[in-house]
Amino acid sequence: MSVRRFLSGTALIAAGALALTGCSGGGGGKSEDALTVTMWGGGAQRAHVSTVFEPWAKEAGMTIRQDQPTDYAKLDAMVDAGKPSWGVVEVEPNYSATACAEGKLEKLSDEVVAAAKEANVSDVQVNECGIPILQYTFSIAYNTETFTDAHPTTWEEFFDVEKFPGKRGFWRYVTGGAFEAALLADGVAPEDLYPLDLDRAFAKLDTIKDNIVWYDTGDEQVQLVSSGEAPLVQAWNGRITQAAGEGLPVANEYNENLISYDHVVIPAGYANADKAQEWMLWFLTHPEAQSKQAIESGYGTASPDALEYLDDEVSNDLAGSEAVNGVSAAVIDYNYWAENYGPATEQFNVWVAK
Amino acid sequence: MKQPTLQHEPGVAAMPEAQPRRSMRSLFRIDGWGALALPLVLFLVLVFLIPLIAMLWRSFVDPEPGFGNYVAIFQESLYTRVLLNTFLIAFLVTAVTLVLAYPYAYLMTLAKPFWRKVMLVLVLIPFWTSVLVRSFALVILLRDTGVLNTLAIDAGIIDDPVTMLRTAGGVVFGMVQVSLPFAVLPMYAAMSGIDRKLGLAAQNLGARPSGAFWRIFVPLSLPGVAAGLLLTFIQALGYYITPALLGGPENMMIGELIVQQVSAVLRYGFAAALATLLLATTLVLLGIASKFLNLEKALLRQS
Repeated sequence: MSVRRFLSGTALIAAGALALTGCSGGGGGKSEDALTVTMWGGGAQRAHVSTVFEPWAKEAGMTIRQDQPTDYAKLDAMVDAGKPSWGVVEVEPNYSATACAEGKLEKLSDEVVAAAKEANVSDVQVNECGIPILQYTFSIAYNTETFTDAHPTTWEEFFDVEKFPGKRGFWRYVTGGAFEAALLADGVAPEDLYPLDLDRAFAKLDTIKDNIVWYDTGDEQVQLVSSGEAPLVQAWNGRITQAAGEGLPVANEYNENLISYDHVVIPAGYANADKAQEWMLWFLTHPEAQSKQAIESGYGTASPDALEYLDDEVSNDLAGSEAVNGVSAAVIDYNYWAENYGPATEQFNVWVAK
Repeated sequence: MKQPTLQHEPGVAAMPEAQPRRSMRSLFRIDGWGALALPLVLFLVLVFLIPLIAMLWRSFVDPEPGFGNYVAIFQESLYTRVLLNTFLIAFLVTAVTLVLAYPYAYLMTLAKPFWRKVMLVLVLIPFWTSVLVRSFALVILLRDTGVLNTLAIDAGIIDDPVTMLRTAGGVVFGMVQVSLPFAVLPMYAAMSGIDRKLGLAAQNLGARPSGAFWRIFVPLSLPGVAAGLLLTFIQALGYYITPALLGGPENMMIGELIVQQVSAVLRYGFAAALATLLLATTLVLLGIASKFLNLEKALLRQS
């Protein structure tokens, strides 16, 4: 996810052209024993492939091929053309729900569904076509030099520009948690969050509109908060943990965090779909591999069972751990977003241009 | 009556006399060699014409047949505003580029060969660097805690950082930087072909140097200027990366909107309608421009 927007800049133009012609570039010919993994790219993809794909491939006598970054238009075009060259694809769960309903993704086998249950993967994070590959939170990231004594610990304080002056960063997408944070700040109870009252959320965002910086990339996220340009950012916790580890003056406040996750799905019609399902089964039944994945990538594991293999020091920073989930406000409801992504985006565009 | 020289060409024999004779004849004079153009023609049909028609078609049929996508564009004032903003930014970029590129190209024609090469390299090095990289570099330069603001604050020129990033000004700044080579190179090409003796002759006949410049040099350089501006303007309309990185959501350009609709919202028909609208508006503007500029001359005389 970190490099997603960075890469999409170049890739989307090419992908758009591909989508329009109905061609799908992709990984060339499929041999029987290869699985193509497509993710957002960067360090996270390297971490996932080396920890939870390669060990399976070795056991199963398969080869892992890679592509990046995920692009929904390209995925759609591949499925429409009937020859998807992507086997396991990392997507946002709202896309997974929409595309699943439209028949663009392979349905999970009963074994995979049972294994997810067995591995204690959260029910809401599994749908008919996708299982989580990682978990993260939208939390309050703050600059530790700007806020030495006190920093915002609730979304209400995050929205309080008098008590905590300075710019606030939000991800420039409607699924980026800004609306959920705004409603929580406005006094909506976590259990009443969904369906979101968008008008109320916009009204709340209006109160700090001049103080909002909309960022695109994970790099920007870290840069904004670490440089103090926006000392408060609603950020992906893993990014901030990594930046803090590199010595930058940033920290996560997990109170009222919003839990999120990424799905892995199989495009409908993928020639090696059964192998992809086999991998999913392996992934869900190997928590120790997931624990390595968490160490390498900095992201929370799909199955809470994997936490047993980790030190508290590591797991206390992972979504899915008691430390993080215990103070969480809500899980982002991607079924809501699957239904409302388009209209909400339009409303967002209109609001932001006002 | 048939053209005697073309009688062996069965295809041409059928051509009615009213056809522009000279161009037809010169086309067929290359007879066998003409086939060499075929791969390119096929290529263009395949990668340009067919997708274009597919896009046009899609804008009318996806998600349902009719003019729904076009109605939707005009129903929400935001989209026309994005389109207007796109043209406004493109005009601004073109104007600023002209002001910067013309004197630079002129200076290049005056400079000694060594310095001319230096100037050329200065234009070309950014040209060879990825737009993505350059745009990210500009982010580092322009942001509140960036190079420019830090220098200005340290020097005591300003107290608080001037917000340049995520503003229309930042977008124009970045796009001008990217489009300068496209304006400088054709301008320089046109200017270097101008016979300097004409200016001297004018001065000999009593013109002041400034008069000779404005009445001899500038008009002769216009084809290059027109080519440079046209390239800049048309490119600027379709910019995506630079405005996406340097602009905020409040000054969105149409390229970003189309990418958002295709890649995030997956409204392909609507995106196709937006693209068609952009294309149509551009063609209309080009049509108007061609009334005042000899476009063919401007674009083809460069080489």
